[in-house]
Amino acid sequence: MKITRRAFLKDASLLIAWLGLPQTLTPSFAKALEELAGGQAPLLWLQGQSCSGCSVSLLNSTDPGPADLLTRYLSLYFHQTISAATGKSAYQSVDKAIAKGGYILAIEGAVPLTIKGACRFADEDFADLLYRAAAKAYAVVSIGTCAAFGGILSAPPNLTGATSVAKALQKGNINVPVINLPGCPAHPAWMIGSLAHVLKIGIPELDKQGRPMKFYSQNLHEQCPYFSQYQKKNFAKALGDEGCLFKMGCQGVVTQADCSMRGWNGGTNWCIRARSNCIGCARPQFANDRNFPFFRLNEKDLQA
Amino acid sequence: MSRSVSIGPVTRIEGHLRIDTRIENNRIAEAWSMGEMFRGFETLLVDRDPLDAPVITQRICGVCSVSHAIASCKAVEAAIGLKAPRNGRYLRSLTLGANYLQSHILNFYHLSALDFVRVEELLDYRGKDPVLRGLKIWASQEISSGRILPIAPFLPKLPADYVDNNNWNLGALSHYLEALEIRQETHEMTSLFGGKMPHTASLVPGGVTCGVDPAVVESFRTRLRRVRRFIELTYIPDVIAAARLYPQYAQGGQGVQRYLSYGGFEEDNGDWLPAGTVIEDRFEPLDTAAIKEDLTASRFRQTIAKHPREGVTVPEEDKKGAYSWLKAPRYKGLSMEVGPLARIMVAATANSAGVGDALQAFLREANLPASVLPSVLGRHAARALEALLLSQQMETWLDALKPEEASLAPYQTRPNGYGEGLTEAPRGALGHWITIRNDKIERYQCVAPSTWNFSPRDQHQQPGPVEAALTGIEVNENYQGIEAARTVRSFDPCIACAVH
Repeated sequence: MKITRRAFLKDASLLIAWLGLPQTLTPSFAKALEELAGGQAPLLWLQGQSCSGCSVSLLNSTDPGPADLLTRYLSLYFHQTISAATGKSAYQSVDKAIAKGGYILAIEGAVPLTIKGACRFADEDFADLLYRAAAKAYAVVSIGTCAAFGGILSAPPNLTGATSVAKALQKGNINVPVINLPGCPAHPAWMIGSLAHVLKIGIPELDKQGRPMKFYSQNLHEQCPYFSQYQKKNFAKALGDEGCLFKMGCQGVVTQADCSMRGWNGGTNWCIRARSNCIGCARPQFANDRNFPFFRLNEKDLQA
Repeated sequence: MSRSVSIGPVTRIEGHLRIDTRIENNRIAEAWSMGEMFRGFETLLVDRDPLDAPVITQRICGVCSVSHAIASCKAVEAAIGLKAPRNGRYLRSLTLGANYLQSHILNFYHLSALDFVRVEELLDYRGKDPVLRGLKIWASQEISSGRILPIAPFLPKLPADYVDNNNWNLGALSHYLEALEIRQETHEMTSLFGGKMPHTASLVPGGVTCGVDPAVVESFRTRLRRVRRFIELTYIPDVIAAARLYPQYAQGGQGVQRYLSYGGFEEDNGDWLPAGTVIEDRFEPLDTAAIKEDLTASRFRQTIAKHPREGVTVPEEDKKGAYSWLKAPRYKGLSMEVGPLARIMVAATANSAGVGDALQAFLREANLPASVLPSVLGRHAARALEALLLSQQMETWLDALKPEEASLAPYQTRPNGYGEGLTEAPRGALGHWITIRNDKIERYQCVAPSTWNFSPRDQHQQPGPVEAALTGIEVNENYQGIEAARTVRSFDPCIACAVH
């Protein structure tokens, strides 16, 4: 099973199909994958105020699967959940990577700026490590809603001052391209597709919120298999019921993500197919307004 | 002669943990467990709709989200007077069970095993296994490419006494990769009933929204059998092999040897795993009124130790004498170990669910004495045994599902109430406590498994269970903390849960 040019071409063709790009790009993608595997375009993954959910989601990638991901697609300098390096060898690995520079910096989790010590790595506040690492990065990818927009953690009262990566970098006067991949967690396809794109074709086309158009340009509701039920005004009267969940407070109408087309966990399921609401976990405002609950069951005039 | 060794960050765990140790005469004389992250989940839940709680608290942790969803649903249900129907309870158990399998396999293969494996042995591989050959080629290319940090994330590692055993080292690497696929499959199982993973959609107060679809049930069963086969033929033998190759870790790191379990996995005749404690080798029924959180060494405004029903969370980063973002939960004033070993000890001591017999059979087959259990590898063995028993028991829960019955109770509520929601997460006892006033959350407190295990000292200077387990461990002066790291990982730390 030697990794040959041919194997890269095969992998590239798979990625191209899956990103919806023209097959003529296959040779250049194959080169990108070779560079990844050859360590020429490595990834440094750091965790701020995170739950590791996006890391776990990355390991749920099906095409390619997680084993290929670690040894063929991603050239990981360091990842807090996966790296063998620990203690001294861990912070030395990160320092080595930063000294070399030129990597893609993946950040999972928010950045605490009010209580800076609310997230630390070795002897350093995370915000300072972020500034150090971002200054030497080719690009920064903010993985998940916390890194992209602050997420749940930035909801009031936000005691730690949890801030998105882009805003934190702005405050630190660090100028580097930032790509936002919201989702709680981010979908593995969004992560790998975007990383591959950054590597070869460059920064993908982004919307005003810094999200790749490829994954976030669609309104979830309009692509939903229950959209026709909505048009017929066939609304679910309780969670779990058949019909469109709009009146239960489903946020598909205000959410930009392709879950309804893609599904989750290898396509086994997704929120609305499981007959619960879309909670808008990829929205920039996700969970931020406490007067905008995820379910409308406690509204007095719900069925009116 | 005394010296200090700090392991910060402890990687291959969930979250931000640092362990400081003071070493005297080549033994750890004192240890400090330091949680290095705080987010404030309990504070941002206040004034929200109670139904938001399971959605938000799941996001405390991307590894244990199902457990938080269930604890939260149970707390809200207790407060508003709702009860999940039978199908809903079994679907919750199956979703949680699948996530146990995910978590246990992850902990052994991907988080802990590299501490016991000589990765470099791969470069001399001459066999025919295509997976290992592929890995070898990749590793050789990494080295010849001249890149910095070759063979990351598998190298560099801390220096240690890795055994020279070809079968073990290469087998463990091959199983590491296989376990990546198996772990993924367990998440697909969780998603079949949960909607998606990490962070489910279908677990809500009142039950589970997805209902019982016989085709989905069989899809779950097919995957469960594949995972069970891996546990029986690969995971269990690997854990036993580790205990034989590293006998020093089958006796060190005993810890406090006091165990707590909230019990769980409700069946028609009560919980499959019993609630209770083992203190001085005796079983006692659980009394949650005896739980108090001490804040003496925690970075929170000082109050007297309080029950979580009255708990408050006010961060105070620079508090004098504080060294961790974790609170220090105590039971009757005592630090308690929680997790798979605790659940097995509680169940075996209470002589329930046939766990005692299964444990004896397991030890007999492995040719290991019962004294190995309170140890580093004993914790791994308890975790593996639990995965095995669970994968067997889950089949009976699939059989208990009734497609014609509801999985979700009709919604009803009341404006004021208090609820306690207890469950067992993969890593141990998890509790949520909610107070609702005028239809809004007035107070919310969580005490997670790793809060118990990784807690700092309390007002009486009593160390937490991991701090206690580290004390007395023999260390090699040329190493940089591998002995402590191995011990810490046997507790399967989840610091996002512990601090929240």
